[in-house]
Amino acid sequence: MNVIIVGFGFIGRKLVRAFYKKIDLIRNVDASFKVIGVSDSKGYLYDSKGLDLERLSYVKRLSEYSGKYREGGSTEEIIEKGEADLMVEATPTNINDGEPGLSFIKAALKKGIHVVTSNKGPLVVAFKELTSLAEKNDCLLLYEGTVAGAVPVFSLVRKCLQGDIIRRIVGILNGTTNYILSRMYFEGTSFELALKEARERGLTERDPSYDVDGIDAACKAVILANALMNRNVKFEDVKRTGIRRVTQEAISLAKKSKFAIKLISTIDKHIEVSPKLVPINHPLCVHGTLNAIHIETDLAREITLIGHGAGEETVSAVLNDVLTVMKETASPI
Amino acid sequence: MKFDLTIALADRPGQLLKALKPIAKNGGNIISIIHERENPSAGFVPVSLVVDFPSKWNMQKTINDLRKIGVTLIKAEEVVDTAHITAILVGKADLERIVQEGLRNAEIIGFEVSAPTSKDACLKLEIEVPTDLLDETLENLRRVAESEDSLVILPI
Repeated sequence: MNVIIVGFGFIGRKLVRAFYKKIDLIRNVDASFKVIGVSDSKGYLYDSKGLDLERLSYVKRLSEYSGKYREGGSTEEIIEKGEADLMVEATPTNINDGEPGLSFIKAALKKGIHVVTSNKGPLVVAFKELTSLAEKNDCLLLYEGTVAGAVPVFSLVRKCLQGDIIRRIVGILNGTTNYILSRMYFEGTSFELALKEARERGLTERDPSYDVDGIDAACKAVILANALMNRNVKFEDVKRTGIRRVTQEAISLAKKSKFAIKLISTIDKHIEVSPKLVPINHPLCVHGTLNAIHIETDLAREITLIGHGAGEETVSAVLNDVLTVMKETASPI
Repeated sequence: MKFDLTIALADRPGQLLKALKPIAKNGGNIISIIHERENPSAGFVPVSLVVDFPSKWNMQKTINDLRKIGVTLIKAEEVVDTAHITAILVGKADLERIVQEGLRNAEIIGFEVSAPTSKDACLKLEIEVPTDLLDETLENLRRVAESEDSLVILPI
């Protein structure tokens, strides 16, 4: 399988390193696996014989990989070459119009290239369009890394809950707000101080409103609703309240009644992101930067998944999606 | 709708069966029954039942039928399923309005206020709401609190 990687930021670089470290495991699934192209916003590397993963895993910028870098070259060019079987799309998230990832994903699917993405933007903006396009072109479009990082929620439902109807999903889908609320709960710090700490630790987006006003959690709720509950909702359909007004006093009062306050995404007949009281003995009541997703179905009833929702751990989800594409598209022997 | 019934039966064979027939005939589904045979009083045995009837009318008809066959009714009252809810409000809200408009169907069983004079005053309410009115009550509470520019934090 010929793979191209679009986006050489944090996830792109960590993925290359994971490919290099786990090459034996990957080649056991597909002996012909190779990365033939990697692009960023300034250009691309391309070699149809396969790039050297060891060399690639030690460069910070694509231009440092000598000999093959084509400055000014576009991602569309490497898609159009027609040699790729799978594109991993890991460009920065843009929830306004989904670009540039949205155009890259569309171009790849139209060309019959399977797509794995960790980028919420395109799915929030055009979920139905992309899944229809994938179906029409007989391609897989997998996006495990877009919601709750390494927590395998889509894979679980796709593989293990095929006969269940999901009635309700509630979850902590943003690790930054969970960190802030946990600091307020355990240390008694103010919202402002906990936010400052989160920024210093590099846990917030450049614009913290993305986290604290529930924008990130709302995007994930949209993807969960569309992917797992067959809805057709947009970001604007989410009733959203962030955590800026959650005071230390509110957290103390909740604590006295054995609740913690968490920013919760709820998908049932409504779709909502807001601070909620979570009983401290409920499986969703996880602290620090952890994410948790509680699924209620007609048959299995309740299942809770807990794990790391962002950062390097997301590579686990992306790599699993890549291996899934390889396995599900392998020719029968 | 569920009703809590207590009847007194003569301590003789066949009395319980006789009393259950009107309940079944009027569409009652017995949820629980406690037959206190070991505590007879003046030759009567108390029997406590929780019965689910399709309507109040079915319940009333059952009571009439029981009386006709000589069964003594000690208690008959509707069982109201209630939910115990904790809610926290942040902001300087008009408490009177919240109680009158937002919590019409609820019974306030406890509250605690923190920093009442600040713009971020906090109010914790412990309320009991009939289960069938829960969604409506919480929606009312949310609507009134939001119109008062308060943040309302409800359980998941």
